[in-house]
Amino acid sequence: MLFGANLQRSYKYMNFASKMPSLRIDQNDLKCKNGCDYYGNPQWQGYCSKCHREQMLRQRRAEKASSNPSATLPRPEQKKPERGTKQASHSSFSKFEEKRLRQSETLAKKANLLKFSVFKKSSTDDHDHSERRAPEFKVPPMVNEGMKRDFRTRFPTLGAETDRDARVFVHSFIMDVMKCANVMSVDELSERVQRLYQRFMKHMDTSQHFAHVDSDTKELLMDFVEKHAMNYLHDLPSVVFSPSGTDDERLDRAMSERIQQLSWVGERHLECKLDRRHAACRQLLYKAISELLGMDSASSPGGKLTRVRRCCRHVLALCGAPASADDLLPALIFTVLKANPPRLVSNINFVTRFCNAQRLMTGEGGYYFTNLCCAVSFIENLTAESLNMDKKEFDCYMSMPASIGGSAWAAALSLCGASREAEEQREAAQRLLQDARNMSERAAALHADAVCFQEQIAKKVEDVLAKTPLEIKPRRELPRLCKSKTAIVTPLIDLELNPTPAEPQTAITEESRPLVGYTVPSEDNSQSSQPTIADPVPNVEKDSITDRINNTDTVQPASSIHELEHTNTAKQGTQETEPKLNILGFEVIEKPSPPKSPQNLDQTWQLKQTSSLELLTPSPLGFTPFDSRSIDELMTPDEFGSDSLAPGLSNINYDIDLSDFSGDNSVAEDPPKEAKDPFSPEGLKKAFDPFAPQPTASTFKEVLDKFDEFSLTDNKTNRTFDPFDVIHRNDPFSPERKEGSSILDDSDSPTTACLLPSPLQPQSSNKP
Amino acid sequence: MLAVLNSHEMLQIMTSGPYNYSYIFKYIIIGDMGVGKSCLLHQFTDKKFMADCPHTIGVEFGTRIIEVAGQKIKLQIWDTAGQERFRAVTRSYYRGAAGALMVYDITRRSTYNHLSSWLTDTRNLTNPSTVIFLIGNKSDLDGQRDVTYEEAKQFADENGLMFVEASAKTGQNVEEAFLETAKKIYQSIQDGRLDLNAAESGVQHKPASPGRPLAAPPAARDNCSC
Repeated sequence: MLFGANLQRSYKYMNFASKMPSLRIDQNDLKCKNGCDYYGNPQWQGYCSKCHREQMLRQRRAEKASSNPSATLPRPEQKKPERGTKQASHSSFSKFEEKRLRQSETLAKKANLLKFSVFKKSSTDDHDHSERRAPEFKVPPMVNEGMKRDFRTRFPTLGAETDRDARVFVHSFIMDVMKCANVMSVDELSERVQRLYQRFMKHMDTSQHFAHVDSDTKELLMDFVEKHAMNYLHDLPSVVFSPSGTDDERLDRAMSERIQQLSWVGERHLECKLDRRHAACRQLLYKAISELLGMDSASSPGGKLTRVRRCCRHVLALCGAPASADDLLPALIFTVLKANPPRLVSNINFVTRFCNAQRLMTGEGGYYFTNLCCAVSFIENLTAESLNMDKKEFDCYMSMPASIGGSAWAAALSLCGASREAEEQREAAQRLLQDARNMSERAAALHADAVCFQEQIAKKVEDVLAKTPLEIKPRRELPRLCKSKTAIVTPLIDLELNPTPAEPQTAITEESRPLVGYTVPSEDNSQSSQPTIADPVPNVEKDSITDRINNTDTVQPASSIHELEHTNTAKQGTQETEPKLNILGFEVIEKPSPPKSPQNLDQTWQLKQTSSLELLTPSPLGFTPFDSRSIDELMTPDEFGSDSLAPGLSNINYDIDLSDFSGDNSVAEDPPKEAKDPFSPEGLKKAFDPFAPQPTASTFKEVLDKFDEFSLTDNKTNRTFDPFDVIHRNDPFSPERKEGSSILDDSDSPTTACLLPSPLQPQSSNKP
Repeated sequence: MLAVLNSHEMLQIMTSGPYNYSYIFKYIIIGDMGVGKSCLLHQFTDKKFMADCPHTIGVEFGTRIIEVAGQKIKLQIWDTAGQERFRAVTRSYYRGAAGALMVYDITRRSTYNHLSSWLTDTRNLTNPSTVIFLIGNKSDLDGQRDVTYEEAKQFADENGLMFVEASAKTGQNVEEAFLETAKKIYQSIQDGRLDLNAAESGVQHKPASPGRPLAAPPAARDNCSC
C-alpha cells in the first residue's frame, strides 16, 4: 500500500514533468478547479467563469477587509524592473554574445511565465490573477502617466481633448485585447486589433477633437497610440508576443539553430558585394547587426520597425552606391545570418500581427520590414539551389559543425567589436585624461589662489601690524623719558594722570640735559664709548653725527629751538639738533645694546627712530621749554611741574626700554640708584637683566621688523639719519635713568605689573 | 452608398492644402535582375540617372507626390529583388500594392521571357484591382534591341496590361508610366472597384483637411466598455 502510494505520486510527478516542456495539457487540467464540469481557464485561475466570479467576489471582500489599497498595482511594480533590464540591454549592443545570452535568459524567463500561466492552479501567482481579472482589470496608472508625459513632449501643440482621446483609446484597447486574448486565436486577435486601429483612425478623421490636426500628425498620433498600447501588452507573457496557442517559440529556436547551421554561408554564396577586409564595411555590418539585435528589445511594433529600418539603412550603405533591392536583399540575408537575432520569428510575427497594417503596407519601415521577412523566409527555405551550389557541397557544409563555418566573418566581426570596444576605451581614457587635466588646472588655480590668499593675508597682517606696532615703540622710548621724569618728579600717581603728549617733550629735554648739563652721563659715555667702537656701523654714524652735532651745537641756541618747535620747520630743526645733542650722551647707550642683541641692533634702532619721531611730533607743545631747559638747565623748576604730569603715564614703558638697551648702563648706574631709592636695588638688577635683552629682542622681533619699515618710511620723510638721531635721543635717556635710577626702579616694578600706560602711548603717537 | 462616400471625399479633397496629399498609392517594381528597376525608380523620384550620381543610396524606397485630376497623390514605390532564387520569398512585397510596374530589358530577351512568370506572381499575389504596367526599359539602346515593340505590345494587350517603352537613362516615358498607372488606379477608385477600406488595396486615403471641421458626428465612442 505504502509503496503504491509512493509510486502513484512519482508517476504523477513524471507525468507533470513530461508535460511541462511540451506544453501539452491533460483534459482534466482544463476543467474548472471547483469540479463543476465546466472548463476552467488559466486566466481565471483554473476556474470556470462562474466559479471564478464567485471566487473573485470572495477575494475582493477579503481584500477590502484587509484594506490593501494596492491590490491592483502589483503588476506595474513588477513590470518596471523587467523593462529596466530591457532598456539596459537596449542601450548596449557592444557584444553580441552578451546579447544572445541575455536573450536566452529572457527566453527562459518567458518560458517560465508561460508555464505558470498554463499550469497555475493555485492562487499563488498574484500578478497574474490581478491582471486577468477581467471585470476589474485596470490599466496600470503607469501607462496613463507615461502617455500623458509622452504626449506633452511629442505633441505640445495638441489640445487636451486629443490627449484624452488617445489615452481613452489606449485604455479601451488594452482592456479589449486583454479580454479577447483568452478566447480568440491569434489571428482573430490580430484582426480585432487591426479593426481597433482603423476605428481610432476613423475617430480621428471624424471627431471634432481632431479637426485641426493634419494627416501627418494623425499618423504620428496613430503610432503614438499603438506604441503605448503595445508597449504594455508586449511585456505581458503570451498575450501578443509569441502568444499561447502559437508555436512561435519553437520556431524561434528552430530558426536560431538553422542560422547557426548556416554560419558557413558567406558573401560569395549570396553574391553580395561585401569586402571583409574593408574596415568601413566591417563597421557598417557591425552596426547593422547591432540594430537587428536591438529589434528584440523594442517593445512596440513601431520601435521594432524603427530598428529594422536603421539596420537596413546600414545594410544599404554596406552594399555601396548605387544600391538597389537586388543588392539589398542578399546583403540583408547575410546580415541576418551573421546576427542570428534572438526570437526572430516571434518578433516578426508580432509586428506582422499587431502593427498597424497600413503602416506595414506602406512606408519605409514597412518596406524594410518586408525585406526582412523575405530574408527570413529565404533562410528558412534555403537550399543548395538557392545558393547556386552543388547539392553535395551544400550537404557537406551543413553537416559541418556550426562553429567552423563562419570563422572568417566571425573573426572579422569580433575584430570589429574589439576595435569598437577599443575605441570606446580610448574615448574613456581620453575623457579621464581630460578630467585629469582639468583637475590639475583647477589644482593650479587653487594653488594660485592659495598663494594669493597667503599674500593678501600677509599684507593685511602687515597692515595691521603697521598700525598696531606703534603702541610698542613708544613704550621703550617713553620709559626712559618717564624714568627721567619720574626721577625728577617721583610721584607715580601723577604720571598716570598726565597726558602722553607731554612725555616726549620731557624725554627730549631730558636727553639734551644729560649730555650738556650732567657730568655723570658724560662719564658713562666715556665708559660706554669703548663698546661703541666694537660696532662698526654705529661708529661711522657717530662720526658723521658728531660732526653734525658740532655744527648744530653751534647753531642751537635754546631760544631759537623754542621758536622752531612751534612750526614744522622748527620740528625738523629740533629733531636734528636734538639727536646731535643726544649723540653725545648716546654713545653711552649704544655700547650696552650691541652685546645684548647684536643682530637686532638695526631693528631696534629703527624702532627707536620711529618712536622718536612720534615722540618728537607730539612733543611740540611742551617741547620748547624742555629743550631750552635741557640745554640751559635753567628751566628745570618750572617745567618739572609740567613734566611731572607727562612722565607719569610712561613710566611702565620706560622700564621695558631700559631693559633692552641699558643693561650695562643700569648695572653701572645701579649703585647710585640704590643709594637714592630703597626700591631700586633689587628691582633694577633683577628686572633689568633678565627682561631687557631677551623679551624685547625675541618677542618684539617680528613686530619690530615690519614695524620698522613703516616707521622708517615715515621717518624718512623727515630725514635719512633720523634713525640714528633718534637712537641717540633714546640712549641719552638711559644715562638719565642712571641718574634717576632710584625713580626708575620704582617705575620698573610698576611696569612689570602694569602695562596699562602702553595703550596711552599710542595716543601720543597719534597726535603727530 | 459608395458613390455618396466618394462625393463626400471629393469635397474634402478639393479643399485640401497644397502640401497635403489625399492618397497614398503603393507601387512595386518587379522584373529580372538588371533590367533597370532601381534606375527607373530613381529617375522617377529624383529625375536623375543613377549612374550619374553614384553616391546616391537607398533609392529602392522612393516616394513622390504627383497630381492626378487635381488630387495630390503620394506614390510609394517599392523596389524588389529580381533574382530568380528570391522569387519564392519576395511574395510579401506584393501585399497591398495598388500598382505593379513590370519591367523587362529590351536588349535581353531572357528578361522578356520571364515576364509571364512575373505576371503570374503578380496576379496571384495582388488583388484584382491592382494595375499592372509593362515597361520595356533601356529604349535608348535601340541598336541592341532584342525584343521588338510590337511583340511586347501584343503581349501586353493579350494580358490586359498597359505598356510603354521607356529609358531610365534619358527619362523618356518614365514619368508617363508612373502617371498612367496612378491615373488608372485613381480611376478604379472613382469607379468603386477599389475598396479604400481594405488594407490590401494599396491605397490609403487621407481625408483630413486642415482647418475644416467635418459635419459628420463624432464616431462611436472608443472608450466603450466592450
